[in-house]
Amino acid sequence: MNLKTLDLKQLACLIYETLKEHGINAVLVGGACVSIYSENRYQSSDLDFATYEEMKPIEKALTKLGFKRTGRQFSHLDCEFLIDFVNPPISVGHEAIHEFSTLKTPTGTIRLLSPTDCVKDRLASYFHWNDAQALEQALMVAENHPIDLRDLKRWAKTEGFEKKLQEFLKRLKI
Amino acid sequence: MLEYLFANKNVEKILIYLCLHGKANATELSRTFDSALDPIQKTLKKLEEGGLLASFLEGKTRGFQWNPRYPFLREIQAFAKKAYSFLPPDIQEKHYLSTRRKRPRKTGKPI
Repeated sequence: MNLKTLDLKQLACLIYETLKEHGINAVLVGGACVSIYSENRYQSSDLDFATYEEMKPIEKALTKLGFKRTGRQFSHLDCEFLIDFVNPPISVGHEAIHEFSTLKTPTGTIRLLSPTDCVKDRLASYFHWNDAQALEQALMVAENHPIDLRDLKRWAKTEGFEKKLQEFLKRLKI
Repeated sequence: MLEYLFANKNVEKILIYLCLHGKANATELSRTFDSALDPIQKTLKKLEEGGLLASFLEGKTRGFQWNPRYPFLREIQAFAKKAYSFLPPDIQEKHYLSTRRKRPRKTGKPI
């Protein structure tokens, strides 16, 4: 398979399916979810997967695709994206995430953060780091996909960022 | 105190230091604890990979601070604070209560 021709979503799918074939359960998190949900209005340069699996079996699976491991990251000469395995738990702020979305694509499936959790993930960066880019990304996702606003408000309140959420809600065009 | 739990003697020191000072870099920690730089750097990197710490660049120096998005942050901080309170006063004084200047110093003035 020529990795050069794959876009982010196709690559995420290939990695997810390859890991699954090797009995490894992983979830796509972080900026790559924003790329997928915003249809590449934001282009992430890496794919972050969260998994409870050890690195050895992951390495065994991805080496078959030609990826080389450095620590918890994998790269490939023909691939512009970096694959990173982030440490669990999968959480947004102080809340664990147990339910994920599954996207079906012509080349297979991907398990990833739901649009609501993806928005929370970006907003957490905006809340804690004042990252304006993360706020824009949260808006891109929320404007493209239905999100659970009631849950988002509840979460922001428990995280202690009710006021900062107002900036997001004020700018949200849905 | 906690090195048996963490299987690493630097983790406890780094956590306590961050509770008291908010941020740190490897050189500063290595000097404070009279330890070799390399193991401190490796421990900081490991804590960053685990998500507990976040790093930032200040000039050419990589600084580390708590990652406010880490889900167990409050619990770990409480743990480190309690460990600090159990340290004898002379160790608290020697390693943690630095008298190093932290307030700004205008460019050009002697330090």
